Amino acid sequence: MLHMQDISKLYQTEMVQTQALREFNLTVNEGEFIAVTGPSGSGKTTFLNIAGLLEPYSAGQYMLDGVDVGKLNDNQRSDLRNQKIGFIFQGFNLIPDLNLFENIEVPLRYRGIKSKERKRRVEQCLEQVGLAGRAKHLPQQLSGGQQQRVAIARALAGEPRFLLADEPTGNLDSLMARQVMTLLEELNRTGTTIVMVTHDAELARRTPRNIQIVDGQVADFTLYQGTQMPRVDAQKPVRV
Amino acid sequence: MLEIKPIINTLMRSKAGALLLILQIAITLAIVSNALSIVSSRIDKLTEDTGYDEQGIIAFTVLTYNRNIDRAKQFKEDMITLKEIDGVKEAMTVSSIPLSSSGGSWTVSNHPDELQGKRVDSGYIQANHRIVNAFGLTISEGRDFEPQDETEGSQDQFPSVTIVSRAVANKLFGEGKGLNEFIYSGDNMMKIVGIVETMKSQWPDSKMGDNVVLIPIERSSMYQRVIVKAEPSKRAQVIKLIEPTLLENERQRVIMGVKGLDTAKAQTYQRDTLMIRMLMALIVFLAIITALGIFGLTHFNISKRTKQIGTRRALGARKSAIFRYFIVENTLVTLFGVAVGSVAAIYMGGQLMALYSIPALDWSIVLYTSLVMLVMSVLSVYQPARRAANISPSIATRSI
Amino acid sequence: MLVHYLDLAWRNIKLTPLISCLMVVAIGIGIGVTMTSLSVYHMMSSDPIPQKSSQLHAVQLQTMDEGQTWNTSDDVPTQLTYQDAKFLMENSPLTHRVAMMKSGAAVHLDSPDSVPFIEDVRITGRSFFSMFDLSFLHGGAWSEMQSEQAAPVAVIGEALAQRLFQRTDVLGESIYLDERKYEVIGVTAAWQPAIKFYDVNNGPFQRAEQLFIPFSHIEAYELHSWGNTNSWKNEEIRGREQFLQSEMVWLQFWVQIDSENALKNYQQFLLDYMAQQQKLGRFNRKQLAYNIKPVNEWLEYNHVIDPDNKILVGLSFMFLAVCLANILGMLLAKFLKRAPDAGVRRALGASKKQIFFQHLVEVALLGLLGCLVGILLAQVGLVGIRETMSVYVGIAKMDWTMLLLSPIIAISACLLAGLFPAWVVCKTSPATHLKVQ
Repeated sequence: MLHMQDISKLYQTEMVQTQALREFNLTVNEGEFIAVTGPSGSGKTTFLNIAGLLEPYSAGQYMLDGVDVGKLNDNQRSDLRNQKIGFIFQGFNLIPDLNLFENIEVPLRYRGIKSKERKRRVEQCLEQVGLAGRAKHLPQQLSGGQQQRVAIARALAGEPRFLLADEPTGNLDSLMARQVMTLLEELNRTGTTIVMVTHDAELARRTPRNIQIVDGQVADFTLYQGTQMPRVDAQKPVRV
Repeated sequence: MLEIKPIINTLMRSKAGALLLILQIAITLAIVSNALSIVSSRIDKLTEDTGYDEQGIIAFTVLTYNRNIDRAKQFKEDMITLKEIDGVKEAMTVSSIPLSSSGGSWTVSNHPDELQGKRVDSGYIQANHRIVNAFGLTISEGRDFEPQDETEGSQDQFPSVTIVSRAVANKLFGEGKGLNEFIYSGDNMMKIVGIVETMKSQWPDSKMGDNVVLIPIERSSMYQRVIVKAEPSKRAQVIKLIEPTLLENERQRVIMGVKGLDTAKAQTYQRDTLMIRMLMALIVFLAIITALGIFGLTHFNISKRTKQIGTRRALGARKSAIFRYFIVENTLVTLFGVAVGSVAAIYMGGQLMALYSIPALDWSIVLYTSLVMLVMSVLSVYQPARRAANISPSIATRSI
Repeated sequence: MLVHYLDLAWRNIKLTPLISCLMVVAIGIGIGVTMTSLSVYHMMSSDPIPQKSSQLHAVQLQTMDEGQTWNTSDDVPTQLTYQDAKFLMENSPLTHRVAMMKSGAAVHLDSPDSVPFIEDVRITGRSFFSMFDLSFLHGGAWSEMQSEQAAPVAVIGEALAQRLFQRTDVLGESIYLDERKYEVIGVTAAWQPAIKFYDVNNGPFQRAEQLFIPFSHIEAYELHSWGNTNSWKNEEIRGREQFLQSEMVWLQFWVQIDSENALKNYQQFLLDYMAQQQKLGRFNRKQLAYNIKPVNEWLEYNHVIDPDNKILVGLSFMFLAVCLANILGMLLAKFLKRAPDAGVRRALGASKKQIFFQHLVEVALLGLLGCLVGILLAQVGLVGIRETMSVYVGIAKMDWTMLLLSPIIAISACLLAGLFPAWVVCKTSPATHLKVQ
C-alpha cells in the first residue's frame, strides 16, 4: 500500500538547514493498522505530511498504492489525496462556516460526485459515527468528541483505502479517546489501511504494529503485537 | 463545479464582512453611475455643435472712452487695419458675442400684437450683412443677407429682413416652417429670409440656448464688441497683435478680453467643467477605495481561513478549486452588491432629477458601471485568491 | 488611563503599518473629498455680513402688469426702475438707504505713460459705506451737497490706490474715469464680502468693486449699467430722457431697518408711493406687491447656492460612507487578529469597558491622522476648484469653522465605524483565545 524508500526531507530556512527525515524507510501493507510514535521534533509530522502527499520530499522514492508520488504534479497529488487518502487531524479541522453535512461533503464535491450520491454517502457516514440527525449543526455546537467523529465521518465519506490519523485523540478526554479508537479499529476490520501518529503509548499499544521515529529515522521496527511496549512518553508535550 | 450553495451558506453565516462589501459596492455603484450620468450629460453639453467657427473666431470688446471720437468712422478704419493682419479673414463689429453669456435678448412674436400670437424669448445679434459667413454659420434654408438688407445704426432705421435659428422659426411657426414669414418685436417687423439649423445664443445653457435672431444693422457704440475671423493656425499670433494694432490707430480707448470664441465658451461653461472635474475625481477616488476594500477584506478572509484552506487542500482540493472558490465568493458578493446598488442608483437618479433637474439616469450607464465593477472586483481579488491557492496543504497538520 | 490608551494605540498602529496606512489613506480621502465640497458649500451659504444681515434689506417693487412673469418665485423683479429708485432715494423715511448699480470705466491718470485699464465702478449713495461696513483709511464719503451737485468725486479702495499711486494716502489726487476727471476724497480699507450679496446680477461670487461714485452721476454723465437691464414692456425709447423714465429695471435698492416700527413705517411708505403712482397709470395690479428681504432671505430667494454644489455635498457624504464601510472592514480584520491580545488583557483583569474604550481610542487616533491627510487633500482640491472656476476665488477656501469641523467629522465618523469592531473584540471571552495556544 505504502512504500517509502530512502525518503529525506530538508527544511531550508535562511539561517539553518534542518533534516527532518533521513533516509526514511517504511512499508505499510494493505489492511494494516500501525501507530507511529516518537518524541516531539522527531519528524512524525513530516512523515505524516509526506505520507499524506501534503508536502514534497527532498529525495528518495515514495510509492502509494503502486503510484510513484514523486512523478505527480500538484493537481495529480490533489486528486490522489482526494481519492485514496482519508485524513483525521488532531485539531479536527472542521470548517467552522460549514455545517456537518457540508463539512463531510467537502471531499466528495472535490471528487465531482453528483449531489444525490453525495447526500446518500454523507448521511451514511453520519450514521456510522452516530451523529445522524445533526447534519444542520455547526461544528462549534458540538463537543470535542463529536467534532472528531464528524472529522472521521468526513475522512470516511470518500471511502478511502488509506486513512491517516494525526493524534486523533489528542484533544479528547480518555473516554472519548477510547470511543474514537474503537471506531478506527472497526474501520480497520473492514479493510481500511490506517496509519496513526500519536504520542499516546497506551493508544499505540492497541494497534497491531508500532513504529517509532527518532531523529528522522525509523528507530525500532519490531512488531509489538500483544506485548508490552517500552513506555516512551505518555505525557502530552506542550506545544508552543 | 462552482460550490455556489455552500459559498452562499458560508456568507450567510458570517454576515458582517460580506454585508460591508455589499454596502460598499452598492453605494459605490449608486454614486458612480449617477456621477457618470451627470458627467456624460455635461460633456454632451460642452461638445454640442454650436454652429460657430469656434477655433477661428476671436472676440473682444473696445471701450472708447473719449466721447469726441467719431466711432463709426474709427471702427471702419479699424476693421480695415485688422484685415491687413496676416491670417485674418474677416473683422466686424457685433452687438454681442455668442456663447459669452453676455448680450441682448428680446421677445419676438409671429403676430404684430404679441399677446395674441406665439412668443419666444431669443438672443439677438446685430452686425453687418457678412455676419453669417464671419461666424462660420451654414444657412440651411433661404438665403444669406445681401448688402442692401443692411442699415446703419446711426440712420435710426430698422432692417426689414432677418435670419433666425431653426429653433426660433419652429417655435413661432411650427416644425420646419417659418421661411418668408414675418416676426414682430415692439414696433419692428422683419421677414425671415434665411434659417440656420444650428446656432447657439449668447446663453447656450439657458432656455433660449438655441434661439438667435440675426439683424443686419451695423452699430458702433462706446462699449463695442468686435469679432475677428482668422485662420485657426494663425489665430494665436493674431490674438497677440490685436491690442497693439488697434491702440496704434487710436489710443483713447481700452481693448478688453481678446480671446478665442472657444475660450469664451469654456468660460461660460466653467461651472460644468468644474462639475465634471469634481465628479471625475470622486469616481477615481471611489474606485480606488472600493478596490482597496475588496482587496483588504479578501485578504483578511483568507488569513482568517488559512487553516481551512489547508484542510480543503488536504482533502483533495486542487489549487484551481481554491482560487475559484474566492473568485466565485467575491463575484457573488459583488453581484448582490450590484443588484442592491442598481436599485439605489435608479432611486437616487430619480431623486436628483426631481430635486435638481438633472437629466434622467440612463439604465445603460448603471449596467456598464456594474460590469466595470464586476471586472474591478475580480481584479482586486485575483492576487489574494492566488495567494490562497498557494497555501500549503501541510498547514492542516499544524496544531496552531 | 487615556495617555496609556493613546500609547497603546500608537504602538498598535505601528505594529501593523500597512493596514494602518490604508485606513489613514481611506479616511483621508473621504475627509478630503467631503471637506472640499463642504467648504465651498459653507462659504456659499455663509452669512456675508453677520453683524448686519438682519438690518440690511433689499427692496423690490412689483412694477409689472398683471400676468407678466419674472424668474423669481413670486414674479417680482429683483431690480427697480430709475424713477422708483430715484424717488425712494430722495424721499425716504429712513436715513440709511441706497440706490445703486454696477458700471465700469477706463481708469487712468492724466499722464502719457498711464495705460488705461478697465475697472468696475459702483454708482451709489453716500450711505453705502456705513450701511455695508466699509471702513476708511483716509478721508470719507461724499457729502449730501456734493451728491446733489454731481461733484466729480470718488472713493477708491486701497488696492486701487496702490495700483495707481503706489501708496494709499492719495486724498486730493486726480484720477480719470473714461474722459472725466475725478478727485479722490476717500480711500477704503480692503473690502471683500464672500458673497456679493448687495448685487447678485452678474453672479453672486464676483469681486466687490473698489471704485465708488455718487448716484447723481448716472443722470449727470449718462452712465450705463454694466449689470442687467431688463424690460417687460414694449416702450418707445428714443434718447436718454425716455430711457430714464422707462419701465426698465436696472437698479438695486437697499435700506437699513433697525426696528419693527421702522419696518412698518417703511412698508406703509412703499404702499403709499405705489398707490400714488397707480393714479399716474403705473403699478397696474389689483394687489400691490413689494418685498423687503433681509440679507440671508435675499440670498436664498436668489438661489445663490449652486445646485451642483448641493449634489456634490450629498455625493461626498455618500463617499464618506463608503470610506467608513471600508474602514469598518479593515478595523474588524485588524482587531480580530489582535483578539488574543485582548483575551490576555481580559484574563489579567481588564473590564470589557476598558477593552472597548482602548480600541475606540485607537480608532479615534486613526481618525485624527486621517483628518490631517484629509485637510491636505482638501487644500489641493480647493486649489483645483479655484483654478477651474476663477470666480470661486473668494469661496473655494477653508475657513476656521471648516478646519475645526474636519477633525470632528473625521473622528466621529471613525468612532462610528469602530463601534462594531471594538464591541466584537471586547465581547470575546478571555478563555477563547487563551486555550487555543
